[in-house]
Amino acid sequence: MSAPISTAMDNLTAAIRSNIIPNQEYLLQGSVLDSAVEVLLHRLRGLCDNVDTGPETFNDHEMCFSIRLLEISYCLQIHMIVMLYVCFRGAEQPLLLRVRRALDYQDMPWQLRYIGQPELGDKSRPTIVRSSLDIATSNTVVDFLTELGCRLDFEYIARGYMFRKGRMKVTVSKIFKMGQQGKIPESMEAISQSYLVELSVLAPSGQDAIAEDMRIFAEQLKPLVQLEKIDYKRFVH
Amino acid sequence: MQREEKQLDSALEAIIMRVNDLKTAIAAMIFKLEHEYETLNWPNFLDNFALFQGILSKILGHDKAPNLRNLTVLPLRLSPEKDDELLRLTEGRIPTFAHDLVPDYLRTKVEPQAEQKMIQLEAKAANLNYETSHYTKVINHVWDIANKAREEWESEAGSRATQAQTSSTADTHALVAAVGMVNSVPSGMMVGRPGNQQQTPGQGSLGNPPMGQMNKAPSAIKTNIKAASQIHPYR
Repeated sequence: MSAPISTAMDNLTAAIRSNIIPNQEYLLQGSVLDSAVEVLLHRLRGLCDNVDTGPETFNDHEMCFSIRLLEISYCLQIHMIVMLYVCFRGAEQPLLLRVRRALDYQDMPWQLRYIGQPELGDKSRPTIVRSSLDIATSNTVVDFLTELGCRLDFEYIARGYMFRKGRMKVTVSKIFKMGQQGKIPESMEAISQSYLVELSVLAPSGQDAIAEDMRIFAEQLKPLVQLEKIDYKRFVH
Repeated sequence: MQREEKQLDSALEAIIMRVNDLKTAIAAMIFKLEHEYETLNWPNFLDNFALFQGILSKILGHDKAPNLRNLTVLPLRLSPEKDDELLRLTEGRIPTFAHDLVPDYLRTKVEPQAEQKMIQLEAKAANLNYETSHYTKVINHVWDIANKAREEWESEAGSRATQAQTSSTADTHALVAAVGMVNSVPSGMMVGRPGNQQQTPGQGSLGNPPMGQMNKAPSAIKTNIKAASQIHPYR
């Protein structure tokens, strides 16, 4: 029994090196007006896999935290943070972390998610590609992040439907504003008169073929929804 | 007199030869019809008729022939007995030269059987004329219906292209910014303001309005807009 004891850290780095972690998110975004959302849901029901069970609904609260990397360098032994560090190679920008919880299933684990900078690529790339890591956590994660020095940037409520088509995930969600001090407001105020439509796939890096599948699927939803690569950094001037 | 007879003989010989040609041509056509019906096409089939027509016009157009109408054919001897010579000459078609058959064979019209069939076919053709006109009427009616439906589709598709838009670029940008924005949302992109809510879907579909105008819609809570226009909505 002389085999070296492998630590979680070794396992993690090995997994990252051999490219088996689905840490790339391929993404297309669009929106549909409230008046046409029924038509879109109907079409998605026909196109997607979960025909018989109908779409899954969700009602989630998402909080976005940010932290400067230098501030977390002292707790690098926390494996998740290490993983994030490996993925997030730019040092200057703040690290963004998102916490998401289901409002309709209070006892479900919470989700901590890191999303990297979106790469738009050139015209030959059909989708946005961004790093993405998910981890299930307990409901104390907000306290934990606050202790680390993370700052709550913004939060919102997303409520809508999820469809699956093979590895692809389609969400149709209404985005609502959060009330003061993180309270769920009694009458929710929607961001706009449209539903946000997102088509995404999580895959290990280098699997660019899936992006082509997504482009073809997005074509099938036109002209109802224009799913596109949207660079929201363009909005910041 | 003798010269005329000779002429008649040679004319008859020529006619018999042509008739034989015609017979082989018809036989060839029937053979084709029976054996090559899978590969036979209309142009080839109709060629046969052109051939028949050519032969027929030659039969009657022999230049030195005396006028056959002026001559009479007289059956000199009838017999109910079987005549082997006749059988051989007609290739097994007519066994006897008897009184019940001769009038049919020597008459100048077509055979009674063929005549009867001809009459039937002509009647059918006349009937068919009526039916075709009937069908034409029905087809015209269907054609009209299809045309009307097409016009409706086209006008509908045209109006759909201009009117009913189902998504708005401005809303897409607003939503994507709302869930993905890192630091600040520029004031023009302020979303979820009451002023924005008054935008009807119809207006939203007009395209991508200038960002700065989105706050200008009249609102009951104007002070709110001013106050919040510099801050992120979630902060």
